[in-house]
Amino acid sequence: MLQNTVLIPLLPLLSAVILIATAGRLPKRLVATLGAGSVGLSAILVAQLSIAWLDNPVPYSLHLWTWMSVGDFQPGIAFYVDGLTVVMMSVITGVGFLIHLYSTEFMQDDDDYSRYFTYMNLFVGAMLILVLADNLLLLYLGWEGVGVCSYLLVGFWYKDPANGAAARKAFIVTRIGDTAMALGLFLLFTELRTLEIQQLAAAANLQWEPGGNLPILACALLLGGAVGKSAQLPLHTWLPDAMAGPTPVSALIHAATMVTAGVYLIARTHALFLMAPPVMLAVAIIGVATLLLAAFTALNQTDIKRILAYSTISQIGYMFLALGVGAFSAGIFHLMTHAFFKALLFLAAGAVIHCLHHEHNIFRMGGLRTRLPVVFWSFLIGSAALAALPFTSGWYSKDEILLATWTMPWAGPWLWAGGILGAILTALYSFRLVFIVFWGEAKTEPDRQPEWRMAGPLALLCLLSVVGGFIAQPLDQVFPAHQPEHATGAVAWITMGIAILGVIVAYLIYLSKQWSVEAGLNSPGMSRLREFWYSGWGMDRFYDSLFVSPYKTLARIMRNEPIDQLYNGIVQLSLWLHGWLSDQQSGQLRRYAASMVVGLILLVAVLAGAR
Amino acid sequence: MMTPTELYALAPFIWLSVGVIVLMLQIAFSRSLNGACWVTNLTLLVALYSMVGHDPAGIQVTPLMRIDALGLMFCAVIICGSVVTSLLARDYLKQRPAENEEFFLLLLLATLGACVLVCATHVASLLLGLELLGVALYGLIAYPEKGERSLEAAIKYLVLSGAASATLLFGFALLYAATGTMDFAILADKLDTIQVNSNPIIVLTAAAFILSGLAFKLSVAPFHMWTPDVYEGAPAPITGFLATVSKGAVFVVLLRWFIDGQLYEFRGIILGLSAVAIASMLVGNLLALRQDNIKRILAYSSIAQFGYLLVVLIACGTLTESIPLAREAASYYLLAYIITTLGATGLLTLLSSESARERDHIGDIVGLFWRRPLLSLGFTVAMLSLAGIPLTAGFIGKFYIFKIGADAELWALMSAVIVGSGLGIFYYLRLVFNMTKNPRQVHALPQQTSLEGRSVLLLLTLLILALGVYPQPLMDYLSAIL
Repeated sequence: MLQNTVLIPLLPLLSAVILIATAGRLPKRLVATLGAGSVGLSAILVAQLSIAWLDNPVPYSLHLWTWMSVGDFQPGIAFYVDGLTVVMMSVITGVGFLIHLYSTEFMQDDDDYSRYFTYMNLFVGAMLILVLADNLLLLYLGWEGVGVCSYLLVGFWYKDPANGAAARKAFIVTRIGDTAMALGLFLLFTELRTLEIQQLAAAANLQWEPGGNLPILACALLLGGAVGKSAQLPLHTWLPDAMAGPTPVSALIHAATMVTAGVYLIARTHALFLMAPPVMLAVAIIGVATLLLAAFTALNQTDIKRILAYSTISQIGYMFLALGVGAFSAGIFHLMTHAFFKALLFLAAGAVIHCLHHEHNIFRMGGLRTRLPVVFWSFLIGSAALAALPFTSGWYSKDEILLATWTMPWAGPWLWAGGILGAILTALYSFRLVFIVFWGEAKTEPDRQPEWRMAGPLALLCLLSVVGGFIAQPLDQVFPAHQPEHATGAVAWITMGIAILGVIVAYLIYLSKQWSVEAGLNSPGMSRLREFWYSGWGMDRFYDSLFVSPYKTLARIMRNEPIDQLYNGIVQLSLWLHGWLSDQQSGQLRRYAASMVVGLILLVAVLAGAR
Repeated sequence: MMTPTELYALAPFIWLSVGVIVLMLQIAFSRSLNGACWVTNLTLLVALYSMVGHDPAGIQVTPLMRIDALGLMFCAVIICGSVVTSLLARDYLKQRPAENEEFFLLLLLATLGACVLVCATHVASLLLGLELLGVALYGLIAYPEKGERSLEAAIKYLVLSGAASATLLFGFALLYAATGTMDFAILADKLDTIQVNSNPIIVLTAAAFILSGLAFKLSVAPFHMWTPDVYEGAPAPITGFLATVSKGAVFVVLLRWFIDGQLYEFRGIILGLSAVAIASMLVGNLLALRQDNIKRILAYSSIAQFGYLLVVLIACGTLTESIPLAREAASYYLLAYIITTLGATGLLTLLSSESARERDHIGDIVGLFWRRPLLSLGFTVAMLSLAGIPLTAGFIGKFYIFKIGADAELWALMSAVIVGSGLGIFYYLRLVFNMTKNPRQVHALPQQTSLEGRSVLLLLTLLILALGVYPQPLMDYLSAIL
């Protein structure tokens, strides 16, 4: 059974290879069967593996071959399976399969059906390699692989230049983080002479002092990679733009799996991070700052997918907070539940967009409660879980995070307060979305209803979003036994109930309209503030003026650069000489003979003169 | 009186002469293109076989010739070149019905002349070989009766080559006047003594005349101007013969004369050769840049290639220890050049064999990749080799040049080599690029060329690659025999 581990990433990759080789010549039905089927088979294998593994939950590794062997540097193509891997694989293949199934209908009318599934399968394969890798180099392969697939899929509709720009932005911004991570890998290897994750932990314990400079530097570099991939401050700006891709892509890559790779990386190398307390604190602070910033921004967006994108950034902020305070299991728990409800929300949003002629603006929707009932219930359940209403899956995971945060020494209450404020905002913006889109008067009529291939995944994800909180995660052996204590008493009650407050406020403002905020919102100061929030706290503008514009200016100057002129000059000179010499080739015998005579005289002069 | 050993040493020359007479008689009695071709090839192969088992240390046969390893090796190369030329020429001539059998007679004579030339150790044998080769070439260049261009080319070659021979003769006469000998070996001893005491101006003037004469045959600047016109006018197979066999043989003579006669000790000669080499590299490559006639491009390219080759001789002047390496390098470069150029002109011959017209314009090879993938691949390999791209024989040759030039610290020459190579890549690749253009204009022509012609080209291509990928055996062989 355990040997089948190899097949899990291999099946989607194989399907991708077949799709590449056939280059879109296969009929759509076959493409759908291959694309979704391969991921489905992987999901079945993962389920079998999990059941077999849970009987005897001992981590094992599977060494396939050594990639190359140069002195100390012997990176293996090897897989490592423990509780964390099992959880990640289940999420990737399970949610992944549902999204693939959904895509078979969603992308039905697209000409590039085959290309879409090629990229998606390639992505699933790369993501599985990422979580299965037993060394950081193989992990990096998967890490870059998912980055490329993200680039390809964000720019999937490449005929619109804006999509291409979004794809490039996503790639380049994450690349900044990836570079930091690569430097981190170099540092780890030069210092500890290994990249195997389990050996790294042991070697670091032996050679490094906790809180020393080296662990802090190494972890900070790894954190750079995680921040880029997981769209956290200050590298978060690519994710909202990445919504240019097809909606199922946003669900799979930019909500459920790839963007959580940063969380996975930190959890996987937690042994190193625990040796660098300042970096841990930085992780927590980045988490809180990001979750607040993104929540405020989400509150002001009008594009349904951008709201969800900012909410994703915000929720990953919670995961970072969890990691930062040392509650690794809680972070992974939230990763899993978030995968369920955020995939659900994206797929439901996709269904809305699909049924409303590609309408993205929530203020041109409305009244969809009765017109798209399946989508409405999905969205409602998803939003409830996102807002962490009691007894939904999001409630369990978010509570664990916030309760663990409180008990962190000295910074705990402040971080907790930030998390609580974020929770209120989360409830507010998610129910603002629900109330505006599904209640009120209809502004656009849907022209179709989702069929079973879209409705089925929605229903299953609804179920998971509700009961996902009861899934026990086999993470006990992965993380240190002494995780932070949970807060009790009043703090616990506030934590549990706070989301309801947000929903009530949303109800009062957006549905019953008992609270009129129009006047306040339209006051000059407030509207400027809203503008500021709407633009994502001006981060894009800030980066544009700080990096992009100077770079472009430099590129413009360099386009007509003097060095090029030199080369052009050489070309011109060559052509001119060529022309001149060609004119001498007149075909006249007497000139040829004259040239010989001149040559002879010159030779005699040189030879006799230089004795 | 000759001893049997000496006669045996002369066997290749005797067989070639016998072949000439047999062919002449055969043509007198029955005309047949195929027959003439086969007699020619049989003669060449017998001559080749008769070279087996000679003493590599060399043997002096009369004061005129020395049959040594260097001479034998280049005799073999020349004979192989003639085999390739005659095989390709048969198809070419079939397409141009006329009295074509004498073509092979002239080819055999030219081969004999070239073989004599590479073994010459005496002024008399040198001139004998040179004129035997030259007179046969006049006929060969003008062979197509109706071609006005060929006639023009032949006349130009006749006049200018005559002038060059006269220069050469005058140089030798001066040398004889100064030293009283025409034997290269004795000449070297005399030059040694002359250099130290008396006024060598007469010797140096002689050297200038002789170098000019040889420079014309090697077509290096500024004695190069006839080359494009003659190459263009000559029938395609003869273009290849001119560029390889004729030039190669003259270079071997120069190599012998230059090293045996210790001419590298004269600073003026080194200076003059350097100027000629730099001029050749620049002029040859610059002239080829926007040329549209492939034969002319190859002519210009050969001007530049011999400019590179002269670096080897010049290096002997500044670094006497590098002489053995210089001989090895020159031989390797020359071999690589001959094989490559035969391959390149071979393709033109094959193409021209399919029509009555010479197909040597760049437009004739547009889209060739889609019609004749294998032939085009061979041509591409030849172009890459001329440009000196790794994994081809040309690269190893260039590498030798760089090694020797850098060892001798000839920086001015090396910069010219680099500039020339850079320019060269442009026009070599331009030909390759043209072959890949316009895949849509594919006209599948019937295969009219013979199997021998095509397999010869394939063999040359494989040789270029083999010498580029695994040059060690040939390098070892060269350094062992030289």
